[in-house]
Amino acid sequence: MSDANEFGPLIDRRGLLRWATGGVASLALAALLQNDGIVRAATLGESADRAPHFTPRVKRVIQICATGGLSQIDSFDYKPELEKRHGQSLGGSEKPDVFFGKIGLLRKSDWAFRQHGNSGLWISDLFPHLGEVADELCLVRSMFAETSNHTPATFQQNTGFRLNGFPTMGAWLSYGLGSESDDLPAFVVIPDARQLPPGGSINWSNGFLPARHQGVVMRATGTAIDDLHPARPIAPATEADSQALLQRMNRRHLESHGGEDLLAARLRSYELAAQMQLAVPEVTSLDSEPEATREMYGIGQRETNDFGRACLLSRRLLQRGVRFVELFSGGALGSPRINWDGHEDMKQNHGQEAKRIDQPIAALLKDLRRTGMLDDTLVLFTTEFGRTPFTQAEANAVGAGRDHNQYGFSVWLAGAGVKAGYAYGQSDEIGWKAAENRVGWHDFHATVLRLLGVDHKRLTFYHNGIQRRITDVSGEIVKGIIL
Amino acid sequence: MILSAHGDPASLPPATPPDFDREVAAIFASRCFDCHNTNEHKGDLDLTHRETAMKGGEDGVVIVEGRPGASELWINVSENKMPPKHPLPEAEKDLLKRWIASGAKWGTDPIDPFRFTTAKRAGYDWWSLQALKKAAPPAVKQANWTRNPIDAFILAELEKMQLAPSPEADKRTLIRRITFDLLGLPPTPEQVETFVNDAAPDAYDKLVERLLASPDYGVRWARHWLDLVRFGESNGFERDQHRPNAWRYRDWVVDALNADMPYRQFVRMQLAGDLIEPKTADGIIATGAIVGGAYDEVGNGQQSLAMRAVVRQDEMEDIVSMVSQTFLGMTANCARCHDHKFDPIAQREYYQLASSLSGVRYGERELPADTIRDKTQAYNAATNSRIAELQSRIDGLENPIRDRLLAERKNQKREPPKPFAEWRFADDLQDHIGSLHVTVNGDAALVGGALKLGGKGYALSAPLQTDLKEKSLEASVSLRDLQQRGGGVIGVQTLDGNRFDGIVFAERVPGRWMAGSDAYNRYKPFEGAEEKEAATAFVQITIVYQADGTITGYRNGKSYGASYKSISLAPFAAGKSQIIFGLRHSPAGNGKFLIGAIKSAKLYDRALTPDEVAASAGTIGVGESEIAAALTAEQRELIKTLRFEIQAIRAQQNRAGSTRTYACVPAAPGVTKLLLRGNTTREGPAVNPGGIASVSGVSADFGLKPDAPDADRRVKLADWITDPANPLFSRVIVNRLWLYHFGNGIVETPNDFGFNGGRPSHPELLDWLAAQLSSEGWSLKKMHRLMVTSATYRQQSLPRPEAMKVDASNRLMWRMNPRRVEAEALRDTILSVACELNPALGGPGYEDYYTFTNNTTFYEARDYVGSAFARRSLYRTWIRSGRNPLLDVFDCPDPSTKTPRRAVTTTPLQALALMNDSFIFRMSDSLAARVKSVSGEDVARQISEMYRRTILRLPTPQESEEATAFVQKHGLAAFARIMLNSSEFVSVD
Repeated sequence: MSDANEFGPLIDRRGLLRWATGGVASLALAALLQNDGIVRAATLGESADRAPHFTPRVKRVIQICATGGLSQIDSFDYKPELEKRHGQSLGGSEKPDVFFGKIGLLRKSDWAFRQHGNSGLWISDLFPHLGEVADELCLVRSMFAETSNHTPATFQQNTGFRLNGFPTMGAWLSYGLGSESDDLPAFVVIPDARQLPPGGSINWSNGFLPARHQGVVMRATGTAIDDLHPARPIAPATEADSQALLQRMNRRHLESHGGEDLLAARLRSYELAAQMQLAVPEVTSLDSEPEATREMYGIGQRETNDFGRACLLSRRLLQRGVRFVELFSGGALGSPRINWDGHEDMKQNHGQEAKRIDQPIAALLKDLRRTGMLDDTLVLFTTEFGRTPFTQAEANAVGAGRDHNQYGFSVWLAGAGVKAGYAYGQSDEIGWKAAENRVGWHDFHATVLRLLGVDHKRLTFYHNGIQRRITDVSGEIVKGIIL
Repeated sequence: MILSAHGDPASLPPATPPDFDREVAAIFASRCFDCHNTNEHKGDLDLTHRETAMKGGEDGVVIVEGRPGASELWINVSENKMPPKHPLPEAEKDLLKRWIASGAKWGTDPIDPFRFTTAKRAGYDWWSLQALKKAAPPAVKQANWTRNPIDAFILAELEKMQLAPSPEADKRTLIRRITFDLLGLPPTPEQVETFVNDAAPDAYDKLVERLLASPDYGVRWARHWLDLVRFGESNGFERDQHRPNAWRYRDWVVDALNADMPYRQFVRMQLAGDLIEPKTADGIIATGAIVGGAYDEVGNGQQSLAMRAVVRQDEMEDIVSMVSQTFLGMTANCARCHDHKFDPIAQREYYQLASSLSGVRYGERELPADTIRDKTQAYNAATNSRIAELQSRIDGLENPIRDRLLAERKNQKREPPKPFAEWRFADDLQDHIGSLHVTVNGDAALVGGALKLGGKGYALSAPLQTDLKEKSLEASVSLRDLQQRGGGVIGVQTLDGNRFDGIVFAERVPGRWMAGSDAYNRYKPFEGAEEKEAATAFVQITIVYQADGTITGYRNGKSYGASYKSISLAPFAAGKSQIIFGLRHSPAGNGKFLIGAIKSAKLYDRALTPDEVAASAGTIGVGESEIAAALTAEQRELIKTLRFEIQAIRAQQNRAGSTRTYACVPAAPGVTKLLLRGNTTREGPAVNPGGIASVSGVSADFGLKPDAPDADRRVKLADWITDPANPLFSRVIVNRLWLYHFGNGIVETPNDFGFNGGRPSHPELLDWLAAQLSSEGWSLKKMHRLMVTSATYRQQSLPRPEAMKVDASNRLMWRMNPRRVEAEALRDTILSVACELNPALGGPGYEDYYTFTNNTTFYEARDYVGSAFARRSLYRTWIRSGRNPLLDVFDCPDPSTKTPRRAVTTTPLQALALMNDSFIFRMSDSLAARVKSVSGEDVARQISEMYRRTILRLPTPQESEEATAFVQKHGLAAFARIMLNSSEFVSVD
């Protein structure tokens, strides 16, 4: 156990003085560990095996989660065979085990597919703007999930586990890599402007990691962060004098207590808070962007305004050193539908949801390319599972909706380190099950971490008997998509 | 220690044949058994037994004695084919080669992978599994420093390192430290003065006794316990519904701790209280621990049997891990898919534990009503007096205005119209005019002066005696929330429900009243205003149906939107029709229920005129809006706050009135089978309910068959866990107590006493304490007393450079650990110094969030004002997705995780919350007002009082001078805010 470090029970020393790792804090930690050498009985806490473990290809990540289950066969997984078999029954001996248990007849895509760009990637007319940036995308058309129940599947998409109480990828990266900025948190979440996703804040939990790795919710409209500014109007002079007096008192207290870490950290935290108060309004002031940029993101247009603002804010956050931004497209699973859960009417549902995000995401990719950021930024577009090629209807009917499909679905990546204008993996001929080069969430997470220079097996945190990691006990890097 | 005893195999002389049991078997076990065992033998090879190993696999012999080159096993290993993808380190390869070369001598048969501790894993000889060692306090040089045996154990280790203990802390520091530690609150300035001035030699002991006897002790230490059992009051997962009756378990923990229930009994009750004490409410309530975690309602309800099985296995893992970690410090959950990689826990034993607990299901249980009646009555009495107090403040503001307005319009009063039928639910379910008496169904009941509808109940009248043509429906109704959709208030329907007319809320348009009817035949939107008040007050809704089909709505006697003409009036025939409350129409079903309350209702057999409706609503008296118009904005705001608190208290009273609790609901457990690789589709052999054999002193064999009833299983499990001879049971709890008191564990991983966990810094002390607990009758309070009266505990906390160099993390306890006040204690402390803390104990938790439901129940944090919300933070309602941001930033854990020790972080978000949250501003105001009321207008005296109240000392002249300058410029409340943010306030020396 000699490779597991000890850290004092009082304070998470690694995060003592900065959001970011490196610099002063890690030096201090190293010194403490050396001094600590005499007592080797404990094995608590954070892994000594510090990231990055490899030269990183990617410095920052933005993940867009399409909540509810985006249909692969209507978007990124072109299946001519399904078109042919439209109206036929699934056939075969297997009785599909789907969420609502109704197996209707096969239904072709409601949107025409066409090839785009130099790469000739097939993308449907559900996402016409994404079609324009097809040459940036790396499609993975052979994903599978372990459950077809939304929330456990969403947890797994984000944390690797089906249960409550595990840290999400953003929290892991906050823990493993920190932020590149002292003024902004490492992990920011921008929920759908209409509503939080099902389960609410459970979706960006720190789990068992220290609470500072929890996602910080930022809104692209209205108050960006809770408690950023005093809850009541307060005279600037009063605020300034208050800060000054508080710091004087706290410094004196620190000096009278032998420079205790906890107290030093408190002093520093108030300085950082003051910096954040300046940095957050700056980063959220989307009005400072040129009109043409705002237009490109669809800001000001009824359907695209919300997500356009979210995407533009994401770019600005990443630019200023935030490590991981997670965007949600879709709210809770009730009725009327405000997410991708197209049980009743795919055409209406996916049509409505895609319009909200198609142009903004395409603009984000163009903008990241234009600013050069795509060279070291990774964009992820994911969904918890896909939808069935057969409809959710009576056995002799072609219904209008599709049920959940854990067996096969599509996601894409774009940007640094991954092949562009490329499609990886295959589903079967009707797009029901992943067939070739199957990719599970552990593989997906391992790959994303690898691109960030992190060995998924070495990014661990001791919790109740286990050196936990996001990939649990598996995870193979998907070499086929890495450049 | 263990590492050096066995050493690195590579360093052994090459001629030595390897020790099979200690070395070769260890490699087989850790590298090969996953695939080549008795249950699962890939390539038909089973390496666990001599006979099968030597027989080989489907391609023949794999081990040829003396000839590695001819042994498939060695060839595959040396060519990195086995284990697949994970080649062995050279040293292990070499060892296998030498073993074969030296004749492949077998040892213990079959291989017992747990026999010995190795460099990679723990065996049966692991320290924590052994019986307690009798340890006498060691001899020490500086014997006069010690106050009790604990100190001898600590001092002996310090002396070995040539470290001196730190001097005793001053009395002010001591009382502040121990009060936070035992109560989670600071002492009052008066308590500090009394203690400081008490020169008696037993002053400190008296203090300890006072604190241990305080009911706040249970409140404080229950929080530690709830962290362990991942106590949450909602289901988590997709919908995260509230569990309105989960609070009883929290109260049970507080009461048990305050009563110093022996720890064995405390644990037995939580595992099997419903079986051990089946006649008491407590026995049932205590089992809330097992089901304190998240519950996947959607997953359990899905169509697919296969997927439901996975959900159930995930549930069992959560339960087994809580039970094994909390009570025994064992991570048995790591053996769900394979034998434990680090500890001697077989996969079969995981399923034995799972079998022991597989009768546990999640849900609500009815309590014997007479056992909780007294408590409920006491709770209602206490909270009613608060409601009365709030109401009298509202009356004090409103009554003078009402009286004045009434006097002005006395002569305008008109008689209300005479109804055809009238229900006064404050009294009974009778029709006070005719015979349309009603009966209730489902959860509908007369509560608090109204017909209360919980969303699963409704009421029906006897059939109409005469035909009904023209009519008016009227009801005084309140809604639990304004987000609900489609519930019926009052309606008239045919007995089968196929035709109906009724007052319906928000079926088509959110937040609007409407005239509901079969298939919307007579529906058009009134286009009335969105309902904003019905969640906090009763509103009177009237719908009038005229002979020509015209339908008109009224709200509180005034027109609601516009009337419209429907196709025709629907007749309702005598004997074939009835009145319905709380349900849109029969048959009952989701989406048709109202959630709220109906105070009174009237049916008229004619169409009322607008004047009659107004007279019936009493708007000729004085409407609320008229009163509101006459109040100042500030008064209106205050009344709103007061009303909100009344509503919150009433909601809590409703919860308190329930005779149910969220607990283990036992079900026939069935037979548990081992699942290969944890895969629900790959069943292995059936297992008996049982424990873990490697724990010494107790038998893991419960003597039960795989189909034993739940009662036998859980009681036997409780017997095994709490057996005084089970060494883990007592070691684990005394270590927890030590950790909470001292800030360091003797073992730093309180939920894991296995190979991956920490080693004890003071093993003899740990065993001595564990033995003490059992000899002291399992009294936790006696253990607290022992620890906090030690000289070790009373040390100063200042860092000493010479000691920091030797032991920076203070594992040896050369000083007391300084602490940051935990999240809940910090909030409680702020309330307490601001004189805003409501000290009431027990009952349903306060809800510091706004909630709305759209499939998922969403919870948005709110800083609500009022003493109903100013209770100790333990009494907040712990929703999994409804975390409180102020508590969160101070490391309050995710209620879904088992948290044996909390992280302590310091972040800018913490600073922002403590400076800027509305709670801090409110408390700063209260604190400043309180200080002024004591000190008057003299600024210097105010500052002294402020210091005294918050950090329990007087300011230095320099501090006083600085603060005076600040207060003169910016006011006392601004200074209070600084004090609440000061390091001295949020940390404990």
